[in-house]
Amino acid sequence: MGLIVKTSARAIIPLIGIFGAYIVMHGHLTPGGGFQGGATIAGAGILFLVAFGLDEMRKHYNKNLYSALEGIGGLAFLGAAMLGMGVAFFYNTLWHNGPFFNGKPGTLLSAGFLPIMNLAVGLKVFTGLVSALTAIALYRRWKS
Amino acid sequence: MGFMVAFLFAYVLWLVLTAGTKGMLWNGQELIAGLIFAAIVGYATKDVIGERASRFLNPAKWILGIAYAPVLFWGMVKANLDVAYRVITGKIRPGIVRVPVELENDAQYTILANSITLTPGTLTIDACPDEKALYVHWINIPPGLERPENSEPVSGPFEKWARRLGE
Repeated sequence: MGLIVKTSARAIIPLIGIFGAYIVMHGHLTPGGGFQGGATIAGAGILFLVAFGLDEMRKHYNKNLYSALEGIGGLAFLGAAMLGMGVAFFYNTLWHNGPFFNGKPGTLLSAGFLPIMNLAVGLKVFTGLVSALTAIALYRRWKS
Repeated sequence: MGFMVAFLFAYVLWLVLTAGTKGMLWNGQELIAGLIFAAIVGYATKDVIGERASRFLNPAKWILGIAYAPVLFWGMVKANLDVAYRVITGKIRPGIVRVPVELENDAQYTILANSITLTPGTLTIDACPDEKALYVHWINIPPGLERPENSEPVSGPFEKWARRLGE
């Protein structure tokens, strides 16, 4: 893209990133959550891809790293769901008698495993969407 | 250096978003979570934001930016009224003009192009740093100004401001 789009993208990409992180981290307090925040951050990645082009994206995108992070996101979600396995699957033991994440409702460290799950889903959605869009952009050529 | 700039941008936005968690201020959890996430975002975007972005951390530049806001706002008010007049009367003479500018870096071009686009009646189409010119679509070209020699008739004082804000 042109110079103006590139320069604006330089300024905006960190701001989109932190706004997405805000949505993910406050999923149990405000509207939004893992998917919405992850898709917002993926928007920053796609803005980078569109503004700077495929060659620049190829230099900064690491397929193995993104693939691993997506797996870690899924595993962290599952791990949080298994924490209360002594009572039931998805039993919110962090909220009932956990050492942390059981603060006063309305504060950041409340709601038991929900913040962990939101972070996991956000990471998974971000890496998954960026990987998918990059793969589509890299698709060999128009013909055959 | 790029890390610090992206980190501070991100942390300031986090503070703005989470203000009001403890009275009007922030509680400790939000401040620490903000540090962590701003560090992650700053690390991830340290190459994107550009090496020379640190010049925008200069407080003199913030004061200049605040001083620029009323100038830009007044330009927008005047130009909106002018466009309303042109909508009613239909007196237009549209065209694309090439405006030579004396700017050096990307930020100056971006600020000037956005200012020109924000003031209605003019719309930046392309910025060409290699030929030091902007291409601007103008709703009403005054006769004889089809080839302006500087940006004064198109954008007024904005070029001077953009040069100082972005240097």
